[in-house]
Amino acid sequence: MSSIIQEQPSPASCAGCLRRSWLLASLGAALDYCARDRDRLLELLALEDEQLLLAVAGRRRAELSARYEQFEVEEPPHGQAAEAVCRHDPLYPRALSGDSAPHMLNVAGGARRLHELLAAPAVAIVGSTRASDYGMEMAGSLGRGLAVAGVTVTSSLADGIAVAAQAGALEADGRTVAVMGGGLDVSCPARRRPLYERVRRGGCAVSELPWDCAGRHWGPLAGERIVAGLATLTIVVEAEETPRDLAAARMANARGRSVAALPGRVTSPLSAGTHALLMEGAHLLRGAQDALELLYSLGANRCVAKTASASHARLEPRLRATLERVGAGSDTPDKLMGEGADADAVLLALSELELMGLLARGDGGRYVPRCP
Amino acid sequence: MLARAHTFTIEGLQTRHVSVEVEVRPGLPAFAIVGLADTAVREARERVQAAIRNSGYEFPARRITANLAPGDVPKAGPGLDLALACAVLAASGQLPAERLAEHALFGELGLDGTVRPSRGTLAVAQATRRAGLRGLALAGGSAHEAKLVDGLEVAVVERLSSAVRVLSGGPADPLPDPPLGESSATASDRRSASAGPDLSDVRGQHHAVKALVIAAAGGHNGLLSGPPGTGKTMLAQRIASILPPLSQPEAIEVTRIHSLMGGGVRELARSRPFRAPHHSITTAGLIGGAQRGWIGEVVLAHNGVLFLDELSEFARPTLEALRQPLEDGRVAIARARHSAVYPARFMLLAATNPCPCGYAGEGDRCRCSETDMARHRRRLSGPLLDRIDLLANMQRDRAREPTTAAFTSSRQAREQVLRARERQAARLRADGVSVNAQMDVRMLQRHVRLEEKGNQMMRRASEQGLLSARGEHRVLRVARTIADLDGSERVRARDLGAALALRPDASLAGSRTA
Repeated sequence: MSSIIQEQPSPASCAGCLRRSWLLASLGAALDYCARDRDRLLELLALEDEQLLLAVAGRRRAELSARYEQFEVEEPPHGQAAEAVCRHDPLYPRALSGDSAPHMLNVAGGARRLHELLAAPAVAIVGSTRASDYGMEMAGSLGRGLAVAGVTVTSSLADGIAVAAQAGALEADGRTVAVMGGGLDVSCPARRRPLYERVRRGGCAVSELPWDCAGRHWGPLAGERIVAGLATLTIVVEAEETPRDLAAARMANARGRSVAALPGRVTSPLSAGTHALLMEGAHLLRGAQDALELLYSLGANRCVAKTASASHARLEPRLRATLERVGAGSDTPDKLMGEGADADAVLLALSELELMGLLARGDGGRYVPRCP
Repeated sequence: MLARAHTFTIEGLQTRHVSVEVEVRPGLPAFAIVGLADTAVREARERVQAAIRNSGYEFPARRITANLAPGDVPKAGPGLDLALACAVLAASGQLPAERLAEHALFGELGLDGTVRPSRGTLAVAQATRRAGLRGLALAGGSAHEAKLVDGLEVAVVERLSSAVRVLSGGPADPLPDPPLGESSATASDRRSASAGPDLSDVRGQHHAVKALVIAAAGGHNGLLSGPPGTGKTMLAQRIASILPPLSQPEAIEVTRIHSLMGGGVRELARSRPFRAPHHSITTAGLIGGAQRGWIGEVVLAHNGVLFLDELSEFARPTLEALRQPLEDGRVAIARARHSAVYPARFMLLAATNPCPCGYAGEGDRCRCSETDMARHRRRLSGPLLDRIDLLANMQRDRAREPTTAAFTSSRQAREQVLRARERQAARLRADGVSVNAQMDVRMLQRHVRLEEKGNQMMRRASEQGLLSARGEHRVLRVARTIADLDGSERVRARDLGAALALRPDASLAGSRTA
């Protein structure tokens, strides 16, 4: 069924895709149980409906088959500003193809807007849900930098890197695509609501599950394949060396898309995943500038890239010295004072740098360099 | 026949005058006490009877009615025994009644006629003087406490018979020697306060020690944040050693509170109280008001330090209840059947982990999810954090710890603090406050003039959303204190920079993103 029929969507073909979405939601915990790892999940999602029922439904097979036969398309109960776009529709993202691609997407913000957003280059920013303040800062600055350049940032709305990237892109008035792990109505945690609303105002939120389907365990993992699928470049900011954290990168790689990673400290388990990717040949990024060059294939003159130290050349020497020492790991007042400096002068320099937006206070009161 | 004796009952931190009226008249032998007496007072009947008999006097076998006036004030505690016994003796003609009217009597009786000290002696002595009575007769054990009040004749009565002797115009019992090791200290000794833990025990952590000195100097509320084992509690316990000594009126207040709570008091309190309640404390335990006259930790910390270790573990409503005392320096408790206002001007010092597991910022040891962190911050955030002026982050520094020198000693820090406090007091005298932490917006405008660079920094901070209006005031207060510690009349950019670096900020109050 990978062939795409080039015609206006007929109700019949869409009903099939909607039915698929209904089926995924109805299988619920059974699918969770069968799809405990990425490969298996992708295999299952590539199956046709009948085979999926056979493989997953278990004791509920007869009941679900009966309901499957009788499935009728229901109108969404409320007039949401969202549309369902199935894979037979011309507005369905071209980038999502392949056996395991979702049959249909619910799009908050409208299918046409999604189409427009994906006409621009799209970059996925992924990473650990338990990122460090360094990772959060870098993801935010990547999101900002890419959004300013008109790139569409796609990511999930999971904690950590993903949400930092979304927030960064929105800060720069960028338009983003957020992939939800469950139904659009219910899968956003309350604390993310304000961010979610901002995403939907200018960008899109997409999900392959029905509106009211609560998130399942497999949902976020399946969401990663959409995140990576929509983007031409997948950037891993901070990831542990676990299948979960590297899922998006592996999926992007399998589909021949570019993968890039940001280095961290070699001693940090939070960067072990990204370093593993770099060893395997992923592109190394130092910031949004590198990502843009990679995206537009300007790799030849990479060396002109403005590095952080160049942009700090205009600072007073004492401030630059403090900033460099913070960057080199003396990131607490105690460490800076321990190097024989006057305590008040150190604090003054830190405060001034913070006011200039070059430093931020991270976890535990450590100072983290920011990319302006 | 009728006799009247004076005594006092204690209600919370207040004393109420009670006149004990006893009438002895012919009739069947009976002894009735009226006038809202609690159990301890009603039990006094038995004690008084036995004490009178065992002291060699006669307990009149007639109808005795004792009235504790005023009738609408509840009387509590065994301190009324002595007055009751003397009034009975006077009413039965075994004691001349004239002197009874001039003395207050305060103490509990034993069955053999000994007089025992009762709690709250200092407050009773003060009230005796205010009531215009000539003297106070009480047990030897609490005589030193009563002697703290000037211009009061204190008569020591170790037994009921001594009381009868004193009230008949005879000599009082000798004052017992103060217990060993508590001889009164000289003034210079007070200034150094050598006893107790010392700041020189703290190795490294210079930033936090400095913050503690600033907090002590300006009376600022402070928060120490850091992973377990970095010495937050150790540091906090040393704050008492660098605070200035109590002034005379403050010392009386503190001693009075401790006397009322039943702590044995021999002399005026010298060091400021340091209260560190466990985090399982209830709101009533912290604020008071569980029952009539019950005072809480905030009152016990009056003129001293309230230290809340593991701040995020305290129940939220309990912390919220701290708002009024932090704002007004007093706590007004209203319950169904009683209400009271207690003094509660204290410096709040709190310690917390930066996240539930405690290792946030420690590289990769922290395993808390974003949700955990958000919950942790939410517990700390809000109105309480709004009243904290200083945040000192502490980090573990394993590599250098054993060799790092101490930042300062308590003695040095105390000298600095004293000097800074003198400067503040001189500047703020006209405004009626004594420390920078108490400056309001008007005083800030008058006393904190920034240099051009400082003004720029403040403008930038509010433009960047780093400081709210209230946060701005807090930073200015702290900057003023830092300048005072340095002996500078002007608030320089470096003072402001340090104050900004110590401000409690959004990384504690909210989530990292969105």
